Amino acid sequence: MKPVVPRQAEPGQGERTASPVSPLPAHKGSTRPMSTSRPLPAAPTKVAILGAGRGGTALLDLLHQIPAIEIVGISDRDPQAPGLQRARDLRIPVIEQIDDLLHNHHTQLVLDVTGDPAMDQRLRRAARPGVDILSGSASRVVWELVQHESALQAELLHAEKLAGIGSFAAGIAHDINNPLQLILGLAENLADETDLSTVHEHAREIIDAVKRTTAICRDLTSYARRSAAHQQSLAEVNTKLDEALKIARYAVGFQDIAVVKVYAPDTAVQGNPDELLHVFVNLITNAVQAMEQGGTLALRTAAEDTVVPIQVADTGCGIPPELFHEIFEPFFTTKPPGKGTGLGLYNIKHVIHQMHGTIAVTSDIGRGSTFTITLPRTTPV
Amino acid sequence: MNRLNLPCPIIHHPGGCHDGILIGFFVGEENCNGRVLVVDDEADIRKVVRMTLQKAGHEVLEAENGEKAIETINSGENRLLLDVMICDIRMPKVNGIEAIAYFRQNYPRVPLIVLTGFPDTDMATSLLRQGVVDYLVKPVEGEKLKASVARAMEQRELAPL
Repeated sequence: MKPVVPRQAEPGQGERTASPVSPLPAHKGSTRPMSTSRPLPAAPTKVAILGAGRGGTALLDLLHQIPAIEIVGISDRDPQAPGLQRARDLRIPVIEQIDDLLHNHHTQLVLDVTGDPAMDQRLRRAARPGVDILSGSASRVVWELVQHESALQAELLHAEKLAGIGSFAAGIAHDINNPLQLILGLAENLADETDLSTVHEHAREIIDAVKRTTAICRDLTSYARRSAAHQQSLAEVNTKLDEALKIARYAVGFQDIAVVKVYAPDTAVQGNPDELLHVFVNLITNAVQAMEQGGTLALRTAAEDTVVPIQVADTGCGIPPELFHEIFEPFFTTKPPGKGTGLGLYNIKHVIHQMHGTIAVTSDIGRGSTFTITLPRTTPV
Repeated sequence: MNRLNLPCPIIHHPGGCHDGILIGFFVGEENCNGRVLVVDDEADIRKVVRMTLQKAGHEVLEAENGEKAIETINSGENRLLLDVMICDIRMPKVNGIEAIAYFRQNYPRVPLIVLTGFPDTDMATSLLRQGVVDYLVKPVEGEKLKASVARAMEQRELAPL
């Protein structure tokens, strides 16, 4: 598999702009692309990372999401170190010479995660005045904190998913109890049925009903499972959207909702398939909940050279522009108590950033909202 | 089981008159125990309910949602001849709650039975307060369903005019 770098990524910027570069139709009416985080502070701290092994990669993954930090470069003596490729994907400069990293690029802080005990002294001798150095046990503590934060994010995602599954109860009960009613009714009828062809027909119907019920359990247990940490594999976006549509039907009623799918072929992306599924379930659920009086849910994908844009659009109530930034903040919700955790879009933003993608929203009050996710496209070798 | 036997073929009970619409007791054929309208979006459910009730001598009409149910009861002879309605809750178009409110208001003498896939105590309480005679949760055994329909018909027949 060959990962393709998203061409719109901003090198070295803490904030990834969410302006969509989608070939998909923009949401009709006024559109306001938005960024998914708060505005950048005036002067982000310029950080250089030394060491591109596990520690360096973890630091990259976390720090590149923080608007107050700008990663000016990363260096490792091993040109095959995994963090270097990660940096290239994120358009973060890979610097060959440590001295270059210390003296140029306006570096303010060097995070040394090489694990080399001699590195601290070398850095302190070579660094220009005013450059802070975090090395040895200090940098190990930072790395531990990063790993801890990563584990908490995973827990948060899982907790939010499980909280959401609570709202599936009505849909699950409906979809399981209906086939059970059919099975019971047919079985009762079989007790005194003498016509052999009717007996055979009922038997077939019972088997089909059992299969439908087991499919529900399979879908749900697969959705509810804990995602393997940092599991990366190829995920076909169209397939995941279809799976999400099936799962979302448990969470929200699709009464009077027309579903329109416009899929482009070859929309493979690299990432965690379980997390991507969760993202889509969340966006579809939100979209349907925004259409209390019915409407149209549109799912669109495209396959550009380097990116896969994905749109989830509704014709619902819309989002007031003043809430555009807040909707991605943790614990922000406009839903009544018990209907939303306020963590859905926050987690979506996190997952999409982890996948080196962007998310944008456009909305028009009373006419609907469109969420556009743009992910780096992966093409089979 | 106690049942008020009605002479065949058809009685239009004047007490069922509401806003100019006459709701009567239906006994269409010999041994017919009355007409039941089953409202459920799933054809499979309508089919098994029909199978069960037909064996008990009921004539069964079907509607796939609340809107169709309202259409059915307001069209042709059906508006005159309905003894019991069995209604699902979660349905497209006009859902069960809306349909039940409509029927309670416009046809208060037609007994309503809820047959739902989702047990919800609050909703059950609210519906029973609205005059729904039974709240059944799928899957429900045939005997229980038949008994519920019979009880609903008795209540209707014994209700003050």
